[in-house]
Amino acid sequence: MDFKADLRDLRFQLFDWLPMDELLATGGFGDWDRESLGMTLDEAYKIAQERLGPGNEEGDRTEAQLADGQVTLPESSHDGYRTVAEGGWIGCANSPEYSGLGMPHTVGTAATDLFAGANLSVTLVFLLTRGVGEIIERHGTDELRALFCERLYTGHWSGTMCLTEPHAGSDVGASTARAEPLGNGRYQVSGEKIFITFGEHDLTDNIVHAVLARLPDAPSGTRGLSLFVIPKVRVQADGSLGEPNDVRCASIEHKLGIHGSPTCSILFGSEGGCEGYLLGEPHGGMRVMFEMMNSARIEVGIQGTAVAAAAHQAALAYARERVQSRRWSDGRDADPVAIVEHPDVRRMLFTSDAFVQAMRALALKTSYCLDRSHVEEGEAAERYAAYVDILTPICKAWCSDWGFRVTEWCLQVYGGYGYSKDYPAEQYLRDIKITSIYEGTNGIQALDLVGRKLRRQADAVRQLLGEAAGTARGLASDPTLGPSARKLGQALEVLGRVLTETPGKDDGPLRLVLNAVPILDMLGHVLGGHHLLEQARIAGDRVREIVAAKGLEDGDADAYRELLQSDADAAFLHNKVQAAVHFAHRVLPQVEALAAPIEAGETAAIDAVL
Amino acid sequence: MKIGVCIKQVPDTEARLRPSASGQWIDEEEIPFAINEGDEYAIEEAISIAEQTGGEVVVVTVGPERAREALRKALAVGAHRAVHLADEAYAGGDCWATARALAAVANRESFDLILTGSQSADVGFGTTGTLLASMLGWPHAWLVVGLEVADGSAKVTREMEAGKNELLQIGLPAVVEVQAGINKPRYASLKGIMQAKRKEVAELSPADLELDPSQVGAAGSRLEFLSVSVPPKGEGAQILEGDTAEVATQLVDKLRTEARVL
Repeated sequence: MDFKADLRDLRFQLFDWLPMDELLATGGFGDWDRESLGMTLDEAYKIAQERLGPGNEEGDRTEAQLADGQVTLPESSHDGYRTVAEGGWIGCANSPEYSGLGMPHTVGTAATDLFAGANLSVTLVFLLTRGVGEIIERHGTDELRALFCERLYTGHWSGTMCLTEPHAGSDVGASTARAEPLGNGRYQVSGEKIFITFGEHDLTDNIVHAVLARLPDAPSGTRGLSLFVIPKVRVQADGSLGEPNDVRCASIEHKLGIHGSPTCSILFGSEGGCEGYLLGEPHGGMRVMFEMMNSARIEVGIQGTAVAAAAHQAALAYARERVQSRRWSDGRDADPVAIVEHPDVRRMLFTSDAFVQAMRALALKTSYCLDRSHVEEGEAAERYAAYVDILTPICKAWCSDWGFRVTEWCLQVYGGYGYSKDYPAEQYLRDIKITSIYEGTNGIQALDLVGRKLRRQADAVRQLLGEAAGTARGLASDPTLGPSARKLGQALEVLGRVLTETPGKDDGPLRLVLNAVPILDMLGHVLGGHHLLEQARIAGDRVREIVAAKGLEDGDADAYRELLQSDADAAFLHNKVQAAVHFAHRVLPQVEALAAPIEAGETAAIDAVL
Repeated sequence: MKIGVCIKQVPDTEARLRPSASGQWIDEEEIPFAINEGDEYAIEEAISIAEQTGGEVVVVTVGPERAREALRKALAVGAHRAVHLADEAYAGGDCWATARALAAVANRESFDLILTGSQSADVGFGTTGTLLASMLGWPHAWLVVGLEVADGSAKVTREMEAGKNELLQIGLPAVVEVQAGINKPRYASLKGIMQAKRKEVAELSPADLELDPSQVGAAGSRLEFLSVSVPPKGEGAQILEGDTAEVATQLVDKLRTEARVL
């Protein structure tokens, strides 16, 4: 099955919905303009289809192999990696000083949407490599920057992030890996890290690990963790490779999905010979690691979106071809039709589509705010940074959770064939599951949101919800979108009540931690509904323009149907409006249902004996 | 070495085509366009020859404003500059009129070699390159699957029927029309896409090429499109049912008794 993407929607969201011109006009992105950015999307899609997609199934079936401490990946993974690295995609949004290409993160995100949809496993190594390059660029000494940044951004070497230890997962502060100064500015590091994505592989000559470890005088907990850069092979002053660095892959995990991505246990310094460089301040490792994690969390939201989008495209193609059963409204002897004609199948496909569009909007908007926070100054920069702060956990958790459900609905479209390995639906479902778990489980994301972000960034939350309220008001009397806008208004009212009243209740803190995930979902639903309605407004105007340009009579249903059949762009825009209506009527009312137990103070899960 | 590559922007193979209101061509509104597939291979071949010989690659197209996107893509993968014959006077030209305009560009540029695809994906006449060579008085090879350029001549492998190839040595300058599959076209790198913006795209009018407007475009054409239509749906098709063995037996039977071709 060839990888397919809705490039039209990506373009619409990037260039017709997000104020891309405003972003480019800030001058923070060199020569990049609409035309050249549009061209990058075409090229990314070609690479996704021709070089990443073909290896997706092979990576799943052959899995990464470990022998004598070396992990090998199939040739198709090498081919995909090489093509992406040589094209400059790994450092596409990074600093040109180190051979990055300096384009907006927002467009880099769109490229990741295509790459991750085609082959999630291989795409993970791009994220990690870019992430390690970025923290070295921001916090490294001149020596470190010169040694590593360019080699990472160009994909000559890859990166990892090493936090988790056998007894320190979500509780990172329990880490025990140790680091001792060697006196020459370097440190000897020892310890075991587990669940290290692309911790060992044969795609590159060297692997640059970012490792949390404790210095001898370190306080306990996360405040005593320092960050070290540890190359698998030691690097000489001129950047050439030296001796191996006592970094060993002890085992790889056998997992539910992303089999093409090796998840490794790495032993650092088991023979006392592992040298690393301190990155940032002593005991300041967690803060730096959080920078990498925050960008990674946005990317995980994109991964959820991307895999769900790929699953939807595959299911849609299948439903258009698979002929089974007559149309429900036809007579007994009628011929069977393609299953896409059956209302229940349409519902599953279109709910999937609406969620994918809403997830894509959230991921792109988060990246857009990130770009603005980098290129604006003063109050504007702070405001966009606050938006990123609040949107990051929602993007990560909402897109990955609902992305998983999309893959489930899409598998259901195939019936029994969806459950078989002959079709890609089951791989999408297995692969996407990790996105709700890694980079901080979605439970952790929700606690971060209700415990920290909602309080610290209360103004930003008010502004974001205020924008949504503006959309609801602005469209309230629109003949097509009015009822949907009112659903958004109602959902906003309930959400506002829960956010303002819950903390003040006697058991407010308990209600918040118990309901962190439902609260995050409420916010995700409301933002999704808001973004889709904004897009529907633009799309609806365009459709009216097309109708007028073609000289169709207003209200001539037959001519309009004919237009949708013959004009692919009109059909796309029409569907944008339908997606907003669908989402507003089927998802936004769930906000009230999610609020009910919170407002009632229901705590049965706490009171139960488990 | 200066290599000209003639490319054409054609409707994307996935575009849904419909006859235009006049019925003489397709409705070009709202359909995606792409570089003709064969021409992509010609671009790649030119760039790799230029990389080896240190030459220059100039892409040339005849087409309206939208065709500039095709030129930009060629520049993004590595062509050095572009010539765009976008003037209204060139519109509606047949192979003859198009070849004449291209020949004028070739004379002006003094190319050592012209590469192009063997035929276009839209009208598919496969004659523009041949006409161009004859107008220039240059040797020419069609359906080329292998090309080696050295010392003022080219070793050319042509695809023949029945899996056979023909090996020719032709003198330069020449027109070589390549076949899809001759190489593996590269992707545009992000750096290439950035640089493409700064590369020259020269728009040349018939006057710039010392041509009279009556020699190019519809006015200079010898061929007229009378009508374009979607083929009518066939009738009388039979769908054979059963498993593969049964269907094969029925088919052979029908080929013997009904079609009488066996």
